[in-house]
Amino acid sequence: MAEVRVPRHGKVRLGVVEGDLRAEADTEIDVDGRLAVTGEARFDGGSEVRGDMDCRSFRSDDGRVRVRGHLFVTEDLEARDSAVEVDGELKARRVDADRGLTVGGPASAERFEVGGHLDGAQSLTARTVSVGGKFQLAGKLTAESVEAGGAVDLHEVALDSLDVGGVVNLAGGIVRRTVEVGGRFSSTAPFEFGNLSVGGISHFHDRTKGGRVDTGGMMTADRDLEFEDLHTGGICSIGGNGKGRNVEVGGKFSVHGGLNLSGNVEVGGMISVGEAITGINLDVGGKLEARRASFSGTVEIGGAVTTREGLKGAQVRLRRRSRARGPVVGGYVRLETKAVAEDIYADTVELEEKAEAARVFGRRVVLGENSSVAEVVYTETLETREGARVRTPPQKVAQLPPFPL
Amino acid sequence: MEGSPTNPRRREVSDLYATVLEVVKRYHGAARITRISYGAGMPVDRLRNFLDRLLTLGLLTSEEVDGRALYDITARGQEFLDTYWKMRGYIEVFEQAPGWNGRRKNPR
Repeated sequence: MAEVRVPRHGKVRLGVVEGDLRAEADTEIDVDGRLAVTGEARFDGGSEVRGDMDCRSFRSDDGRVRVRGHLFVTEDLEARDSAVEVDGELKARRVDADRGLTVGGPASAERFEVGGHLDGAQSLTARTVSVGGKFQLAGKLTAESVEAGGAVDLHEVALDSLDVGGVVNLAGGIVRRTVEVGGRFSSTAPFEFGNLSVGGISHFHDRTKGGRVDTGGMMTADRDLEFEDLHTGGICSIGGNGKGRNVEVGGKFSVHGGLNLSGNVEVGGMISVGEAITGINLDVGGKLEARRASFSGTVEIGGAVTTREGLKGAQVRLRRRSRARGPVVGGYVRLETKAVAEDIYADTVELEEKAEAARVFGRRVVLGENSSVAEVVYTETLETREGARVRTPPQKVAQLPPFPL
Repeated sequence: MEGSPTNPRRREVSDLYATVLEVVKRYHGAARITRISYGAGMPVDRLRNFLDRLLTLGLLTSEEVDGRALYDITARGQEFLDTYWKMRGYIEVFEQAPGWNGRRKNPR
Protein backbone atom coordinates (compact mmCIF):
# COMPACT_ATOMS: atom_id res chain seq x y z
CA MET A 1 0.00 0.00 0.00
CA ALA A 2 1.24 3.53 -0.77
CA GLU A 3 2.49 5.81 2.00
CA VAL A 4 2.34 9.59 2.12
CA ARG A 5 5.17 11.06 4.20
CA VAL A 6 5.29 14.51 5.70
CA PRO A 7 8.89 15.42 6.53
CA ARG A 8 9.99 17.00 9.80
CA HIS A 9 8.79 20.62 10.12
CA GLY A 10 6.80 20.03 6.92
CA LYS A 11 3.59 21.91 6.14
CA VAL A 12 1.25 20.24 3.65
CA ARG A 13 -2.36 20.24 2.45
CA LEU A 14 -4.02 16.84 2.17
CA GLY A 15 -7.42 15.40 1.34
CA VAL A 16 -7.77 11.69 0.64
CA VAL A 17 -4.74 9.49 1.36
CA GLU A 18 -5.01 6.05 -0.25
CA GLY A 19 -2.84 3.98 2.10
CA ASP A 20 -0.82 5.11 5.13
CA LEU A 21 0.11 8.57 6.31
CA ARG A 22 3.39 9.10 8.14
CA ALA A 23 4.04 12.50 9.63
CA GLU A 24 7.37 13.28 11.26
CA ALA A 25 7.82 15.63 14.20
CA ASP A 26 6.59 19.22 14.16
CA THR A 27 4.39 18.96 11.10
CA GLU A 28 1.29 20.91 10.10
CA ILE A 29 -1.39 19.39 7.89
CA ASP A 30 -4.06 21.59 6.34
CA VAL A 31 -7.12 19.72 5.23
CA ASP A 32 -9.04 19.84 1.96
CA GLY A 33 -12.55 19.23 3.21
CA ARG A 34 -11.64 16.15 5.21
CA LEU A 35 -8.42 14.21 5.72
CA ALA A 36 -9.36 10.62 4.93
CA VAL A 37 -6.58 8.05 5.43
CA THR A 38 -7.55 4.58 4.26
CA GLY A 39 -4.65 2.96 6.17
CA GLU A 40 -2.72 3.90 9.30
CA ALA A 41 -2.09 7.50 10.31
CA ARG A 42 1.20 7.63 12.18
CA PHE A 43 2.78 10.64 13.85
CA ASP A 44 6.41 10.53 15.00
CA GLY A 45 6.29 13.56 17.28
CA GLY A 46 4.15 16.67 17.65
CA SER A 47 1.77 17.49 14.83
CA GLU A 48 -1.34 19.49 14.03
CA VAL A 49 -4.13 18.47 11.67
CA ARG A 50 -6.30 21.48 10.80
CA GLY A 51 -9.66 19.92 10.07
CA ASP A 52 -11.69 16.73 10.34
CA MET A 53 -9.86 13.46 9.99
CA ASP A 54 -10.69 9.80 9.65
CA CYS A 55 -8.38 6.83 9.36
CA ARG A 56 -8.25 3.08 9.81
CA SER A 57 -5.84 3.29 12.75
CA PHE A 58 -4.04 6.13 14.53
CA ARG A 59 -0.68 5.99 16.25
CA SER A 60 1.51 8.71 17.71
CA ASP A 61 4.90 8.52 19.41
CA ASP A 62 6.28 11.34 21.55
CA GLY A 63 4.94 14.88 21.56
CA ARG A 64 1.38 16.04 21.19
CA VAL A 65 -0.91 15.53 18.21
CA ARG A 66 -3.77 17.97 17.85
CA VAL A 67 -6.70 17.46 15.50
CA ARG A 68 -8.63 20.70 15.01
CA GLY A 69 -11.83 18.96 14.03
CA HIS A 70 -13.47 15.54 14.42
CA LEU A 71 -11.41 12.37 14.55
CA PHE A 72 -12.95 9.05 13.51
CA VAL A 73 -10.71 5.97 13.82
CA THR A 74 -12.16 2.69 12.51
CA GLU A 75 -9.80 0.56 14.58
CA ASP A 76 -7.51 1.69 17.44
CA LEU A 77 -6.00 4.96 18.57
CA GLU A 78 -2.64 4.45 20.26
CA ALA A 79 -0.44 7.20 21.69
CA ARG A 80 2.94 6.06 23.01
CA ASP A 81 4.66 8.60 25.26
CA SER A 82 2.44 11.21 23.73
CA ALA A 83 -0.82 13.05 24.17
CA VAL A 84 -3.69 13.50 21.73
CA GLU A 85 -6.00 16.49 21.57
CA VAL A 86 -9.18 16.43 19.50
CA ASP A 87 -11.18 19.66 19.22
CA GLY A 88 -14.32 17.95 17.92
CA GLU A 89 -15.86 14.50 18.22
CA LEU A 90 -13.74 11.39 18.76
CA LYS A 91 -14.78 7.88 17.76
CA ALA A 92 -12.52 4.84 17.85
CA ARG A 93 -12.70 1.14 18.65
CA ARG A 94 -10.10 1.32 21.42
CA VAL A 95 -8.14 4.30 22.74
CA ASP A 96 -4.82 3.75 24.49
CA ALA A 97 -2.87 6.91 25.32
CA ASP A 98 0.17 7.11 27.57
CA ARG A 99 0.36 10.76 28.44
CA GLY A 100 -3.10 12.19 28.02
CA LEU A 101 -6.23 12.67 25.93
CA THR A 102 -8.30 15.84 25.54
CA VAL A 103 -11.55 15.83 23.61
CA GLY A 104 -13.67 18.90 22.85
CA GLY A 105 -16.72 17.06 21.50
CA PRO A 106 -18.44 13.79 22.36
CA ALA A 107 -16.11 10.82 22.73
CA SER A 108 -16.95 7.16 22.23
CA ALA A 109 -14.96 3.94 22.12
CA GLU A 110 -15.22 0.44 23.47
CA ARG A 111 -12.31 1.13 25.82
CA PHE A 112 -10.39 4.20 26.93
CA GLU A 113 -7.07 3.52 28.63
CA VAL A 114 -5.15 6.66 29.46
CA GLY A 115 -1.98 6.89 31.52
CA GLY A 116 -1.98 10.54 32.53
CA HIS A 117 -5.08 12.72 32.27
CA LEU A 118 -8.36 12.36 30.37
CA ASP A 119 -10.28 15.59 29.76
CA GLY A 120 -13.61 15.76 27.97
CA ALA A 121 -15.75 18.83 27.34
CA GLN A 122 -18.84 16.85 26.37
CA SER A 123 -20.15 13.29 26.81
CA LEU A 124 -18.11 10.10 26.88
CA THR A 125 -19.49 6.66 26.11
CA ALA A 126 -17.49 3.46 26.54
CA ARG A 127 -17.58 -0.02 27.95
CA THR A 128 -14.53 0.58 30.17
CA VAL A 129 -12.52 3.65 31.11
CA SER A 130 -9.19 3.41 32.90
CA VAL A 131 -7.17 6.50 33.76
CA GLY A 132 -3.90 6.49 35.68
CA GLY A 133 -4.10 10.11 36.83
CA LYS A 134 -6.89 12.68 36.59
CA PHE A 135 -10.20 12.30 34.75
CA GLN A 136 -12.42 15.32 34.05
CA LEU A 137 -15.62 15.28 32.02
CA ALA A 138 -18.17 18.05 31.61
CA GLY A 139 -20.87 15.95 29.89
CA LYS A 140 -22.60 12.68 30.65
CA LEU A 141 -20.45 9.62 31.27
CA THR A 142 -21.94 6.29 30.23
CA ALA A 143 -19.86 3.16 30.85
CA GLU A 144 -19.76 -0.21 32.54
CA SER A 145 -16.63 0.34 34.61
CA VAL A 146 -14.56 3.44 35.31
CA GLU A 147 -11.25 3.35 37.15
CA ALA A 148 -8.86 6.18 37.96
CA GLY A 149 -5.77 6.41 40.11
CA GLY A 150 -6.00 10.10 40.99
CA ALA A 151 -8.85 12.57 41.02
CA VAL A 152 -12.10 12.37 39.10
CA ASP A 153 -14.37 15.32 38.30
CA LEU A 154 -17.57 14.29 36.54
CA HIS A 155 -21.00 15.59 35.67
CA GLU A 156 -23.89 13.13 35.26
CA VAL A 157 -22.99 9.43 35.31
CA ALA A 158 -24.66 6.18 34.28
CA LEU A 159 -22.21 3.45 35.29
CA ASP A 160 -22.01 -0.07 36.65
CA SER A 161 -18.92 0.56 38.79
CA LEU A 162 -16.62 3.42 39.74
CA ASP A 163 -13.25 2.78 41.38
CA VAL A 164 -11.05 5.77 42.17
CA GLY A 165 -7.91 6.08 44.28
CA GLY A 166 -8.12 9.73 45.26
CA VAL A 167 -11.00 12.17 45.11
CA VAL A 168 -14.34 11.98 43.27
CA ASN A 169 -16.58 14.99 42.59
CA LEU A 170 -19.65 14.32 40.52
CA ALA A 171 -23.00 15.94 39.88
CA GLY A 172 -25.20 12.88 40.17
CA GLY A 173 -26.76 10.00 38.29
CA ILE A 174 -26.49 6.30 38.94
CA VAL A 175 -23.76 3.74 39.66
CA ARG A 176 -25.64 0.47 39.56
CA ARG A 177 -23.14 -1.74 41.39
CA THR A 178 -20.22 -0.35 43.41
CA VAL A 179 -18.51 2.93 44.09
CA GLU A 180 -15.08 2.51 45.67
CA VAL A 181 -13.07 5.60 46.52
CA GLY A 182 -9.87 5.79 48.52
CA GLY A 183 -10.10 9.40 49.63
CA ARG A 184 -13.09 11.71 49.30
CA PHE A 185 -16.42 11.47 47.49
CA SER A 186 -18.86 14.29 46.78
CA SER A 187 -22.10 14.45 44.77
CA THR A 188 -24.17 17.59 44.16
CA ALA A 189 -27.32 16.30 42.40
CA PRO A 190 -29.61 13.32 43.14
CA PHE A 191 -27.47 10.21 43.20
CA GLU A 192 -28.23 6.48 43.32
CA PHE A 193 -25.86 3.57 43.80
CA GLY A 194 -25.58 -0.10 44.72
CA ASN A 195 -22.88 -0.01 47.39
CA LEU A 196 -20.48 2.79 48.22
CA SER A 197 -17.19 2.48 50.07
CA VAL A 198 -15.09 5.56 50.77
CA GLY A 199 -11.89 5.50 52.83
CA GLY A 200 -12.03 9.12 53.99
CA ILE A 201 -15.02 11.44 53.63
CA SER A 202 -18.35 11.28 51.75
CA HIS A 203 -20.57 14.30 51.05
CA PHE A 204 -23.97 13.96 49.43
CA HIS A 205 -25.39 17.40 48.71
CA ASP A 206 -28.74 16.25 47.27
CA ARG A 207 -31.14 13.33 47.70
CA THR A 208 -29.25 10.05 47.77
CA LYS A 209 -30.31 6.42 47.64
CA GLY A 210 -28.08 3.37 47.91
CA GLY A 211 -27.36 0.02 49.47
CA ARG A 212 -24.43 -0.23 51.84
CA VAL A 213 -22.78 3.13 52.58
CA ASP A 214 -19.38 2.61 54.17
CA THR A 215 -17.20 5.62 55.03
CA GLY A 216 -13.99 5.44 57.06
CA GLY A 217 -13.96 8.98 58.43
CA MET A 218 -16.97 11.24 57.97
CA MET A 219 -20.23 11.12 56.02
CA THR A 220 -22.62 14.01 55.49
CA ALA A 221 -25.88 14.05 53.54
CA ASP A 222 -27.42 17.52 53.21
CA ARG A 223 -30.86 16.16 52.28
CA ASP A 224 -32.68 12.81 52.57
CA LEU A 225 -30.64 9.62 52.58
CA GLU A 226 -32.03 6.16 51.86
CA PHE A 227 -29.78 3.16 52.46
CA GLU A 228 -29.60 -0.46 53.47
CA ASP A 229 -26.65 -0.35 55.86
CA LEU A 230 -24.87 2.82 56.93
CA HIS A 231 -21.44 2.43 58.43
CA THR A 232 -19.21 5.37 59.37
CA GLY A 233 -16.01 5.26 61.40
CA GLY A 234 -16.15 8.82 62.74
CA ILE A 235 -18.89 11.41 62.28
CA CYS A 236 -22.12 11.01 60.32
CA SER A 237 -24.89 13.53 59.65
CA ILE A 238 -28.10 13.60 57.62
CA GLY A 239 -29.66 17.00 56.90
CA GLY A 240 -33.08 15.59 55.94
CA ASN A 241 -34.69 12.27 56.84
CA GLY A 242 -32.89 8.93 57.00
CA LYS A 243 -34.43 5.61 55.98
CA GLY A 244 -32.70 2.24 55.96
CA ARG A 245 -31.92 -1.00 57.72
CA ASN A 246 -28.86 -0.87 60.01
CA VAL A 247 -26.66 1.99 61.23
CA GLU A 248 -23.24 1.68 62.78
CA VAL A 249 -21.37 4.89 63.63
CA GLY A 250 -18.15 5.01 65.64
CA GLY A 251 -18.45 8.60 66.83
CA LYS A 252 -21.29 11.09 66.49
CA PHE A 253 -24.46 10.67 64.43
CA SER A 254 -26.98 13.43 63.82
CA VAL A 255 -30.18 13.45 61.80
CA HIS A 256 -32.08 16.70 61.34
CA GLY A 257 -35.40 15.02 60.47
CA GLY A 258 -36.55 11.53 61.38
CA LEU A 259 -34.74 8.21 61.17
CA ASN A 260 -36.79 5.18 60.17
CA LEU A 261 -34.92 1.86 60.37
CA SER A 262 -35.93 -1.74 59.91
CA GLY A 263 -32.84 -3.01 61.77
CA ASN A 264 -30.34 -2.00 64.43
CA VAL A 265 -28.52 1.14 65.50
CA GLU A 266 -25.09 1.02 67.11
CA VAL A 267 -23.44 4.34 67.92
CA GLY A 268 -20.21 4.59 69.88
CA GLY A 269 -20.65 8.25 70.85
CA MET A 270 -23.71 10.44 70.52
CA ILE A 271 -26.84 10.20 68.39
CA SER A 272 -29.12 13.18 67.88
CA VAL A 273 -32.38 12.93 65.90
CA GLY A 274 -34.61 15.99 65.42
CA GLU A 275 -37.80 13.98 64.98
CA ALA A 276 -38.61 10.32 65.77
CA ILE A 277 -36.22 7.40 65.52
CA THR A 278 -37.56 3.87 65.05
CA GLY A 279 -35.91 0.47 64.64
CA ILE A 280 -35.38 -2.94 66.23
CA ASN A 281 -32.36 -2.68 68.55
CA LEU A 282 -30.47 0.39 69.78
CA ASP A 283 -27.06 0.49 71.47
CA VAL A 284 -25.63 3.93 72.26
CA GLY A 285 -22.31 4.25 74.07
CA GLY A 286 -22.83 7.93 74.87
CA LYS A 287 -25.90 10.08 74.53
CA LEU A 288 -29.22 9.83 72.65
CA GLU A 289 -31.36 12.88 71.88
CA ALA A 290 -34.62 12.63 69.96
CA ARG A 291 -38.20 13.82 69.97
CA ARG A 292 -39.21 10.19 70.36
CA ALA A 293 -37.32 6.88 70.19
CA SER A 294 -39.22 3.68 69.59
CA PHE A 295 -37.63 0.22 69.20
CA SER A 296 -39.24 -3.19 69.03
CA GLY A 297 -36.22 -4.99 70.57
CA THR A 298 -33.49 -4.10 73.05
CA VAL A 299 -32.37 -0.57 73.93
CA GLU A 300 -29.09 0.01 75.76
CA ILE A 301 -27.91 3.47 76.74
CA GLY A 302 -24.38 3.99 78.07
CA GLY A 303 -24.46 7.71 78.90
CA ALA A 304 -27.66 9.70 78.69
CA VAL A 305 -30.96 9.82 76.86
CA THR A 306 -33.15 12.87 76.36
CA THR A 307 -36.53 12.64 74.64
CA ARG A 308 -39.52 14.96 74.60
CA GLU A 309 -42.12 12.22 74.06
CA GLY A 310 -40.29 9.17 75.38
CA LEU A 311 -38.03 6.21 74.79
CA LYS A 312 -39.61 2.81 74.15
CA GLY A 313 -38.18 -0.69 73.77
CA ALA A 314 -39.16 -4.29 74.49
CA GLN A 315 -36.19 -4.29 76.87
CA VAL A 316 -34.55 -1.07 78.01
CA ARG A 317 -31.28 -1.06 79.90
CA LEU A 318 -29.81 2.15 81.26
CA ARG A 319 -26.21 1.34 82.05
CA ARG A 320 -24.33 2.28 85.22
CA ARG A 321 -24.48 6.03 86.02
CA SER A 322 -26.51 6.81 82.91
CA ARG A 323 -29.25 9.49 82.84
CA ALA A 324 -32.69 9.49 81.22
CA ARG A 325 -34.85 12.59 80.67
CA GLY A 326 -38.34 11.99 79.34
CA PRO A 327 -40.49 8.91 79.93
CA VAL A 328 -38.97 5.43 79.51
CA VAL A 329 -41.41 2.78 78.33
CA GLY A 330 -40.82 -0.95 77.90
CA GLY A 331 -41.75 -4.51 78.54
CA TYR A 332 -38.75 -4.76 80.83
CA VAL A 333 -36.80 -1.71 82.08
CA ARG A 334 -33.63 -2.01 84.10
CA LEU A 335 -31.70 0.85 85.68
CA GLU A 336 -28.19 -0.24 86.53
CA THR A 337 -26.24 1.03 89.53
CA LYS A 338 -26.52 4.79 90.08
CA ALA A 339 -28.55 5.30 86.91
CA VAL A 340 -31.15 8.07 87.10
CA ALA A 341 -34.48 8.29 85.24
CA GLU A 342 -37.72 10.27 85.35
CA ASP A 343 -40.98 8.33 84.77
CA ILE A 344 -40.79 4.62 83.92
CA TYR A 345 -43.66 2.59 82.45
CA ALA A 346 -43.08 -1.16 82.01
CA ASP A 347 -44.37 -4.63 82.70
CA THR A 348 -41.30 -5.27 84.86
CA VAL A 349 -39.10 -2.54 86.34
CA GLU A 350 -35.83 -3.25 88.13
CA LEU A 351 -33.67 -0.63 89.81
CA GLU A 352 -30.18 -1.73 90.83
CA GLU A 353 -28.19 -0.37 93.77
CA LYS A 354 -28.46 3.41 94.26
CA ALA A 355 -30.47 3.88 91.09
CA GLU A 356 -33.09 6.63 91.11
CA ALA A 357 -36.39 7.29 89.38
CA ALA A 358 -39.26 9.76 89.71
CA ARG A 359 -42.37 7.68 89.11
CA VAL A 360 -42.49 3.96 88.39
CA PHE A 361 -45.52 2.23 86.87
CA GLY A 362 -45.30 -1.57 86.52
CA ARG A 363 -46.89 -4.94 87.01
CA ARG A 364 -43.82 -6.11 88.86
CA VAL A 365 -41.32 -3.69 90.46
CA VAL A 366 -37.96 -4.51 92.11
CA LEU A 367 -36.10 -1.77 94.00
CA GLY A 368 -32.45 -2.59 94.69
CA GLU A 369 -30.35 -1.68 97.72
CA ASN A 370 -30.38 2.03 98.55
CA SER A 371 -32.34 2.83 95.41
CA SER A 372 -34.76 5.72 95.49
CA VAL A 373 -38.14 6.37 93.85
CA ALA A 374 -40.61 9.21 94.42
CA GLU A 375 -43.73 7.19 93.58
CA VAL A 376 -44.50 3.55 92.75
CA VAL A 377 -47.75 2.29 91.19
CA TYR A 378 -47.97 -1.49 90.58
CA THR A 379 -50.48 -4.25 89.93
CA GLU A 380 -48.85 -7.48 91.20
CA THR A 381 -45.60 -7.37 93.22
CA LEU A 382 -43.25 -4.81 94.74
CA GLU A 383 -39.92 -6.05 96.08
CA THR A 384 -37.81 -3.59 98.08
CA ARG A 385 -34.26 -4.45 99.08
CA GLU A 386 -32.33 -3.04 102.07
CA GLY A 387 -32.21 0.74 102.14
CA ALA A 388 -34.58 1.18 99.19
CA ARG A 389 -36.78 4.25 99.60
CA VAL A 390 -40.16 5.23 98.18
CA ARG A 391 -41.09 8.79 99.15
CA THR A 392 -44.88 8.38 98.98
CA PRO A 393 -46.59 5.13 100.02
CA PRO A 394 -46.59 2.64 97.10
CA GLN A 395 -49.99 2.11 95.49
CA LYS A 396 -51.22 -1.31 94.43
CA VAL A 397 -53.91 -0.83 91.77
CA ALA A 398 -56.09 -3.12 89.63
CA GLN A 399 -55.02 -1.44 86.39
CA LEU A 400 -52.11 0.79 85.42
CA PRO A 401 -52.71 4.09 83.62
CA PRO A 402 -52.19 3.99 79.82
CA PHE A 403 -48.50 4.06 78.87
CA PRO A 404 -47.18 6.85 76.67
CA LEU A 405 -46.03 5.99 73.09
CA MET B 1 -4.67 13.50 47.49
CA GLU B 2 -4.15 17.15 48.15
CA GLY B 3 -5.53 19.19 51.03
CA SER B 4 -8.86 20.96 50.93
CA PRO B 5 -9.07 24.13 48.79
CA THR B 6 -9.30 26.29 51.89
CA ASN B 7 -6.54 24.49 53.69
CA PRO B 8 -4.03 23.19 51.18
CA ARG B 9 -1.91 20.53 52.74
CA ARG B 10 1.64 19.92 51.65
CA ARG B 11 2.02 16.41 50.23
CA GLU B 12 3.99 14.19 52.52
CA VAL B 13 6.01 11.14 51.56
CA SER B 14 3.19 8.83 52.64
CA ASP B 15 0.85 10.70 50.23
CA LEU B 16 3.27 10.08 47.37
CA TYR B 17 3.58 6.36 48.18
CA ALA B 18 -0.23 6.13 48.28
CA THR B 19 -0.51 7.96 44.95
CA VAL B 20 1.92 5.54 43.29
CA LEU B 21 0.11 2.51 44.72
CA GLU B 22 -3.29 3.80 43.60
CA VAL B 23 -2.01 4.25 40.04
CA VAL B 24 -0.36 0.81 39.97
CA LYS B 25 -3.55 -0.79 41.29
CA ARG B 26 -5.52 0.49 38.28
CA TYR B 27 -3.38 -1.53 35.82
CA HIS B 28 -4.12 -4.93 37.39
CA GLY B 29 -0.56 -6.28 37.18
CA ALA B 30 0.41 -4.58 33.93
CA ALA B 31 1.69 -1.20 35.17
CA ARG B 32 4.68 0.04 33.19
CA ILE B 33 6.95 2.67 34.71
CA THR B 34 6.03 5.28 32.09
CA ARG B 35 2.32 4.78 32.71
CA ILE B 36 2.81 5.06 36.47
CA SER B 37 4.90 8.19 35.87
CA TYR B 38 2.12 9.88 33.89
CA GLY B 39 -0.56 8.75 36.32
CA ALA B 40 1.28 9.84 39.46
CA GLY B 41 2.67 13.00 37.84
CA MET B 42 6.20 12.08 38.86
CA PRO B 43 9.38 12.00 36.73
CA VAL B 44 10.60 8.49 35.94
CA ASP B 45 13.98 8.87 37.73
CA ARG B 46 12.28 9.99 40.96
CA LEU B 47 9.57 7.38 40.58
CA ARG B 48 12.17 4.62 40.26
CA ASN B 49 13.31 5.31 43.86
CA PHE B 50 9.73 5.12 45.11
CA LEU B 51 9.11 1.86 43.27
CA ASP B 52 12.32 0.33 44.67
CA ARG B 53 11.28 1.30 48.19
CA LEU B 54 7.75 -0.09 47.72
CA LEU B 55 9.22 -3.34 46.36
CA THR B 56 11.58 -3.61 49.35
CA LEU B 57 8.68 -3.09 51.75
CA GLY B 58 6.63 -5.77 50.00
CA LEU B 59 3.90 -3.35 48.97
CA LEU B 60 4.56 -3.97 45.27
CA THR B 61 5.74 -6.89 43.14
CA SER B 62 7.33 -6.70 39.72
CA GLU B 63 7.60 -9.14 36.88
CA GLU B 64 9.75 -8.88 33.76
CA VAL B 65 7.73 -9.32 30.56
CA ASP B 66 9.44 -8.80 27.16
CA GLY B 67 12.35 -7.08 28.90
CA ARG B 68 10.12 -4.57 30.70
CA ALA B 69 9.19 -4.52 34.37
CA LEU B 70 5.46 -4.69 35.07
CA TYR B 71 4.33 -3.73 38.58
CA ASP B 72 1.41 -4.91 40.67
CA ILE B 73 0.14 -4.08 44.13
CA THR B 74 0.37 -6.78 46.85
CA ALA B 75 -2.15 -7.60 49.58
CA ARG B 76 0.16 -5.74 51.96
CA GLY B 77 0.11 -2.74 49.62
CA GLN B 78 -3.69 -2.78 49.63
CA GLU B 79 -3.61 -2.99 53.42
CA PHE B 80 -1.39 0.12 53.45
CA LEU B 81 -3.88 1.98 51.23
CA ASP B 82 -6.87 0.99 53.37
CA THR B 83 -5.10 2.17 56.52
CA TYR B 84 -3.79 5.33 54.84
CA TRP B 85 -7.24 6.46 53.64
CA LYS B 86 -8.95 5.62 56.91
CA MET B 87 -6.34 7.61 58.83
CA ARG B 88 -6.62 10.53 56.39
CA GLY B 89 -10.39 10.47 56.91
CA TYR B 90 -10.03 10.66 60.68
CA ILE B 91 -7.43 13.44 60.45
CA GLU B 92 -9.76 15.50 58.27
CA VAL B 93 -12.59 14.91 60.74
CA PHE B 94 -10.41 16.21 63.59
CA GLU B 95 -9.36 19.21 61.50
CA GLN B 96 -12.96 20.06 60.49
CA ALA B 97 -14.77 19.46 63.80
CA PRO B 98 -14.92 22.76 65.75
CA GLY B 99 -13.14 22.71 69.08
CA TRP B 100 -11.25 19.54 68.20
CA ASN B 101 -8.02 21.26 67.29
CA GLY B 102 -6.68 21.06 70.82
CA ARG B 103 -6.76 24.86 71.27
CA ARG B 104 -8.79 26.54 73.97
CA LYS B 105 -11.60 28.78 72.71
CA ASN B 106 -10.76 31.73 74.99
CA PRO B 107 -7.11 31.46 75.98
CA ARG B 108 -6.24 33.81 78.78
